[in-house]
Amino acid sequence: MEPSRHLPVTLSVNGSQYPILIEPRRTLLDALRHDLGLTGAKKVCDMGDCGACTVIVDGKAMYACLLLAVDCDDREITTIEGLATGNELDPVQEAFIRADAFQCGFCTSGQIMSLRALLDANPEPDDDQILRAVTGNLCRCGAYPNILKAGRLAADLQAQAASNGQ
Amino acid sequence: MKPFDFARPETIEDAVAMLDARPAGHANGSALLAGGTDLLTLMKADLSAPDRLIDIKRLAELDNRIEEDEEGLTIGALVTLAQLEEDPRVTALYPALAEASSLAATPQLRHMATIGGNLLQRPRCWYFRNPHVHCWLKGGDECQARQGENQRHAIFDISPCVAVHPSDPATALLALDATVRLRGAAGERELPIADFFAPPTAERCTETIIRGDELIVAVRLPAAQGWRSTYLKAMDRKVWAFALVGVAAALRVDEGRVIDARLALGGVAPIPWRAEAAERLLAGSDISAEVISHAAEAALDGAQPLAKNAYKILLAKALVRRALMALSG
Amino acid sequence: MPEIRVKPKQGENGTELELIEDEGVRAWAPDADLQIVGQPHPRLEGREKVTGRARYASDVRLPGQLYARVLRSPYPHARIVSVDIGKAEQAPGVRAVIHAGNVPRIPWYEEGVLFESTVRFVGDEIAAVAAESEEQAEDALRLIEVEYEPLPFVSTIEEALAPDAPWVHDDGNIAGEPKTYERGDPDAGLRDADVTIDAAYSTASALHNAFESHGCTTFWDGDSLTLWDSTQAIFVIREQVAEKLGLPEHRVRVVKHHMGGGFGAKQIAWKHDVIASLLSRQAGRPVQLMLDREAENLAAGNRNPTRQRVRLGARRDGTLTAIVADIHQASGAYRTGGEASNVSGTYQTLYNCPNVRTEQVAVYTNTGPAVAFRAPGHVEAAFALEQAMDELARTLEMDPVKLRRQNYSEVDQLEGKPFTLPEGLRLSYDRVADAFGWGAEKPPPSSESKRRGVGFAAHDWSGGTGHPPGYAWIELNADGTADVITGTQDIGTGTRTGLAQVAAEELGLPLDCIAFRLGDTATGPYSPVSSGSATQATIGPAVRAAAAEVKAQLLEVASSVLEVGADRLSVRAGRILVDGDEERSIAVSAVTEKIRPHTLQGRGARGPNPEDKTIRTFGAQCVELEVDIETGEIDRLRIAAAHDCGRIVNPTLVDSQVVGGITQGVGFALTEERTVDPRLGLVLNANLEEYHVPTVADAPAIEHARVGVPDSEANSTGAKGIGEPPLIPTAPAIANAVYDAIGIRFREGPLSRARVVAALAEQRAQGEGSRP
Repeated sequence: MEPSRHLPVTLSVNGSQYPILIEPRRTLLDALRHDLGLTGAKKVCDMGDCGACTVIVDGKAMYACLLLAVDCDDREITTIEGLATGNELDPVQEAFIRADAFQCGFCTSGQIMSLRALLDANPEPDDDQILRAVTGNLCRCGAYPNILKAGRLAADLQAQAASNGQ
Repeated sequence: MKPFDFARPETIEDAVAMLDARPAGHANGSALLAGGTDLLTLMKADLSAPDRLIDIKRLAELDNRIEEDEEGLTIGALVTLAQLEEDPRVTALYPALAEASSLAATPQLRHMATIGGNLLQRPRCWYFRNPHVHCWLKGGDECQARQGENQRHAIFDISPCVAVHPSDPATALLALDATVRLRGAAGERELPIADFFAPPTAERCTETIIRGDELIVAVRLPAAQGWRSTYLKAMDRKVWAFALVGVAAALRVDEGRVIDARLALGGVAPIPWRAEAAERLLAGSDISAEVISHAAEAALDGAQPLAKNAYKILLAKALVRRALMALSG
Repeated sequence: MPEIRVKPKQGENGTELELIEDEGVRAWAPDADLQIVGQPHPRLEGREKVTGRARYASDVRLPGQLYARVLRSPYPHARIVSVDIGKAEQAPGVRAVIHAGNVPRIPWYEEGVLFESTVRFVGDEIAAVAAESEEQAEDALRLIEVEYEPLPFVSTIEEALAPDAPWVHDDGNIAGEPKTYERGDPDAGLRDADVTIDAAYSTASALHNAFESHGCTTFWDGDSLTLWDSTQAIFVIREQVAEKLGLPEHRVRVVKHHMGGGFGAKQIAWKHDVIASLLSRQAGRPVQLMLDREAENLAAGNRNPTRQRVRLGARRDGTLTAIVADIHQASGAYRTGGEASNVSGTYQTLYNCPNVRTEQVAVYTNTGPAVAFRAPGHVEAAFALEQAMDELARTLEMDPVKLRRQNYSEVDQLEGKPFTLPEGLRLSYDRVADAFGWGAEKPPPSSESKRRGVGFAAHDWSGGTGHPPGYAWIELNADGTADVITGTQDIGTGTRTGLAQVAAEELGLPLDCIAFRLGDTATGPYSPVSSGSATQATIGPAVRAAAAEVKAQLLEVASSVLEVGADRLSVRAGRILVDGDEERSIAVSAVTEKIRPHTLQGRGARGPNPEDKTIRTFGAQCVELEVDIETGEIDRLRIAAAHDCGRIVNPTLVDSQVVGGITQGVGFALTEERTVDPRLGLVLNANLEEYHVPTVADAPAIEHARVGVPDSEANSTGAKGIGEPPLIPTAPAIANAVYDAIGIRFREGPLSRARVVAALAEQRAQGEGSRP
């Protein structure tokens, strides 16, 4: 067997730079979970069939399990760990608690990241846009109606925060 | 995934040269990495084990833009399905493509998947994808789906393989008369998408005629003046499933008379399937429920269902009727 | 000290002893003025879950941790001729490789061992590797050389029962003794009936697909083993792992803070628990072994497929004269001990009927072992029985709800005992019919090609009753806050929150004064498996008993502080109240601070369930939907549900279980079906790509019509379980609505697009054929 081929890569995650040495075959998901210790993104299917590993890459929601870490070296990555400011939750996180938008919580990071990406691109989504934003995130516990409520509530909370801030 | 090297060439020429070359220890060759949404699933299942991945996403010459000119639209190979779904020129002039893109996969995958990779993706046949099955398409003796669980398989028997092509946009592009521009060691060539796809044969166990040293640089659409188009998709659940049947229809209608028609079906054959008999029936006709009904019958003429997928014929006819009704209304 | 009695009971292994522990509290009256129990409250662990900080088994990171992968059989049935791990051991990063040749013969399943010399399904464990990374572990698996001698196999119930079928085990394909039950004279009941129904149904194998796969992280410290496991039963895992490894129980610690779903499949120690432990011991390093999605779907349980022939007899007025069910179910290659799929049960109990016979035969097949899946047995049976009841109602031209009311049972017909809440099912009928608008005129379909239908189904369930014993401890701190400690686990249902509400209610403290600790055998007292919708009903009373004990002590101290008799004192919202003298109320902390650093401690035990009555949960659902007769699409699902779960401790959590259960029911009804190629013995959709669970767009509009009548005879909190029941009636109610819409009876599930389109075509062909 050939010796493993490692490459130096610097990942930019949640505003911090992480220089790491990895094999090209390491996915972004494994790099986050193993090399960076950021275990909020979950490995469920590892084949792009579930959405639990959703992170935001250059402003867009993507599946970390189908991205190679070496392919992310000049991209801005945001994970669930990067949303809260200090102890203050992101409006989407806050909305998920208030709307009871989860049971087991294993898909929750991914759901939240999809809605975060939606609200970044479109702060005033309609109900259909909220639904479409989470069509790529399965929830086996079936918390879907409350996930949609949380999306609506998050948009409202964010709008309130914006108007209070002005 | 098995280990591999990772290369990031500067130019298309370099990328092509890398594809062509087989350095020592590279018996399995190289593969192009763009969106990766199909390639990585193949590699994780050990169905593909290239020695080297060639990252083409950052090639300055390879386009991720959609350009409009008098002759139509040029879609760079790196344009994502999300771009196709949202681009106002595509939604206005080529709705079948926008609809097919929006019905494909999920928002996350559409942000990642490129149109070039989408056309080159491999079948989702559950025998082909199962690492324990050495099927005909993987060089084995038998297509296990023929005698097996073939409810999601082809109803047009045109290859020893009965997997269906999984792409929604490809079906739409076929109905929109797209061309595919390729670049390889021998230079550039452009061919109709109908010629780009070809059923797998014993000599070429793939779904396209692209050569090992070629990559897709662009997809081009002819000017769409006077055309209307639409794409309909039947799935096993509401979203996020490969098409049981997809139908792309494009009509040029003048005062109730069909001047020209193009009809393509997905989920019915190893490649996107052009329903030419139905097109001929439609062209020149005065559009009516009866004509549409005949066209739907003609579209499925020659279909030979397997043991478990006769339902696809009925489903396809229903979608064809519905698509044509929508365009004629 | 609460009183303890010792009572003989008939255990599985002869007579054993049962401890009868007095809970020391009386049940809350149905109309008790409760402050916190009954109120909606967000989940206590919400913040952890929305920030990604909630730690699941796969999130454990220990210094020097290795990652394990399991080599699994590619054959449905084969003899292992040889296993050569030489190359794998030499592979980069590999720290341990185990297989039958280098580990003890640890007994497993019925007569088997950890690594079998004959593998019996695709996915059966053969060897395992621990390496520095997951990738290196996978590389090493490819280097293990196994020689197989493939054997003939059976994939389906029909194949297993064929006269010349290959045998899965040496003693044939019948798994255990057939379970037969008979009361009255069913044959006479059928013979004397005015109307009979005789129909055969089949249900598919469904895959749990909990989002967190099975798995654990293990770590040895000398002879002490710690497992962070994804489990519904930390004490079961401790007991079973200790037994398999020959360890005393106090040297095994099982931790489970959060779990990404289980749905019944995580209530036993699976092989990976012991494999990870053995790898960890061999390598001298912590080992994490999480199953990948394929292994999860092949080797970690499934809902058993069934074939059910149902015969019903009834008089003209709808009174049932006979229920007969002949049932076959596939256990897969092994009986896990956690399958518990009692398909017969609901035939025997749901409807009042003097003449009932059920026969339930389990067969082995060369597929992954079946295990409990959310209301095991009843989900499968309801698909058949509740459609048969619908067929009967149509034959009698009778309203299906009326038919069910006509056959109402207020007693447990198996034991001849009344139910603790005999009106539970009737209340469900009333509430759901009312909320749904049952009997109202159907609105017209939304387009010309669509047909609208409505359907109804009922259910009962033997779970939700509580599984004593179970224990809780409470420590009231000197500042007036409390730690509640149990050895139960929150499997994602909101157990922490519901139990904390019970503690807060009894203690008279605000909820934010309660810290609820669970999920660790090292720190909490014994608690049973979280299955059978039992946790709230088991541990709730124990928590309440512990709280009552603490409260009594608190009032005793307060009595000294206030110089008022304890009998005049009560606690509410963090204050000690003096009966008839509001002015003198003081904060709880003002009392507890007086005794600092002493704390007040209580212990609570769950007493036995009542002997003279049977606890049962009930429910009913109404479905409205549309079927497109051209495309076969089933759409615009609207579902109303009413379920008797006794007192509702937290409506937010109960609503969530109802919505989640129905959503899984929609999957079971329409798309979820494990597909096995019978020629190859391979599961073709052991993944989330081709095994279609519902997406957000598939979720129906759901109205939960809460019943919420406390079942004060069930236990001291009046609460019963709700985890499993909402899934039970969904699929038959959908199938009944489809029949109502298009007149096609789907006796084989799920009602996939392919089946619906094919059936519509057949219907059309018959219609055309019968035209003059």
